[in-house]
Amino acid sequence: MAAAVASAGLRRRPGGVWGAVARRLLQSQSRDKPETRHPQYPGIVESTEEYKFVERLIPPTRIPAPPKHAQYPTPSGWRAPSDTPPALPYFVRRSRMHNVPVYKDITSGNRRMTVIRKIEGDIWALEEEVKEFLTQLAGKPPPIQVNEITGSIGIKGYFDNELKEWLLNKGF
Amino acid sequence: MAAASRGGGGGGPKALELLRALPRVSLVNLRPNPGAKKSEKRRGRGRHGGKKSGRGHKGQRQRGTRPRLGFEGGQTPFYLIIPKYGYNEGHSRRRQYHPLSLQKLQYLIDLGRVDPTQPIDLTQLTNARGVTIQPLKRDYGVQLVEEGADIFSAKVNIEVQMASELAIAAIEKNGGVITTGFYDPRSLEILCKPIPFFLRGQPIPKRMLPPEDLVRYYTDARNRGYLANPSNIPEARLELAKKYGYVLPDISKDELFRMLSTRKDPRQIFFGLAPGWVVNMSEKKILKPTDERLLRYYSS
Repeated sequence: MAAAVASAGLRRRPGGVWGAVARRLLQSQSRDKPETRHPQYPGIVESTEEYKFVERLIPPTRIPAPPKHAQYPTPSGWRAPSDTPPALPYFVRRSRMHNVPVYKDITSGNRRMTVIRKIEGDIWALEEEVKEFLTQLAGKPPPIQVNEITGSIGIKGYFDNELKEWLLNKGF
Repeated sequence: MAAASRGGGGGGPKALELLRALPRVSLVNLRPNPGAKKSEKRRGRGRHGGKKSGRGHKGQRQRGTRPRLGFEGGQTPFYLIIPKYGYNEGHSRRRQYHPLSLQKLQYLIDLGRVDPTQPIDLTQLTNARGVTIQPLKRDYGVQLVEEGADIFSAKVNIEVQMASELAIAAIEKNGGVITTGFYDPRSLEILCKPIPFFLRGQPIPKRMLPPEDLVRYYTDARNRGYLANPSNIPEARLELAKKYGYVLPDISKDELFRMLSTRKDPRQIFFGLAPGWVVNMSEKKILKPTDERLLRYYSS
């Protein structure tokens, strides 16, 4: 009963739009010039015109570079790195998705950490500045761990939003 | 130890310099950080021969004969007295729609991963890695969620599977077009991963119609359903504009109007490709059937 009502409702669509696009695409075959009958299988027609629609479906192999915007921050809050790297003894690279590499980490349910990754140059200088900045914020200096080999700094506690903004203001 | 000791020298690998200068690391030189190793509490070793060892005084507590968790001394316990009800019954068979917030959509457009000058489809969203759909886990597509409706400012032609009212309003306010369409699991898998499907060499199937309980949703112009009467949609747009208090922009005057008004046929899976066609990726050709019966089947 419900099925009958549903199908009746669908059949009542005006203008015969039902399957119109599909019918149009299938029937336009005879009018297309670049089509050729397949030599081996006469029941098939080949065409190269519509291949551009297939090309649209292929996923890109590389992450696209973000386009230039007139104003930063963009509506979603993203800010591009400054064109000239800042004159500091260290450099913080962007992640492959063009974001600032500050992450939150939590272990065993209660151990909260903030990690700044992808640091190049003098890590200890950055550690000093981070310590100063966070002492102002939190009142006391939080424990900080520096890993020279991976170029990362781990800080006890969640400071990811503040650190992201601080790094963005520096121009990274 | 790395954090505690700080050597001299300029920027760079100080740890390496330290290693050169310090003596060899051996069991004699190693020590855990203070507070890392806490010694365990050993009971029964105190004054007076250990006494009660933290077990309390007499009774089931000291003797270790307490009944199981949930036992209420013989009264029918809580977990038995409350009747069963099928809240979670069939939960693994329910349709799931991956949420896509307007915030995330704006982020993808800002970073150039999704192109707003082309119609945005689930394929485009998957290629941009904005959503990951698992058709085998009862995912039926993507639903547009209103998180970020206040910052959304992109004019797009987007096709999702479900959308909330505020999300529809946010898209139309910026001059975009939104449609909701149904994909059965087979079509969804083909839509999300088109290239492995084309490599199989099968003809593109036609998209199936929605099941009974979803027909009502997709025939309603308020949800911008793909099966709804197209003449009801301008009214629904005006109604939403009045409800949320914005001026409805006239998209027919837009330069991208042609792109914004492209919609898929209810039986079509991809834009520009009809059901029944076989795609030959190695030779970049499309094979189309000519048999009368096949044409009738695929255009029905």
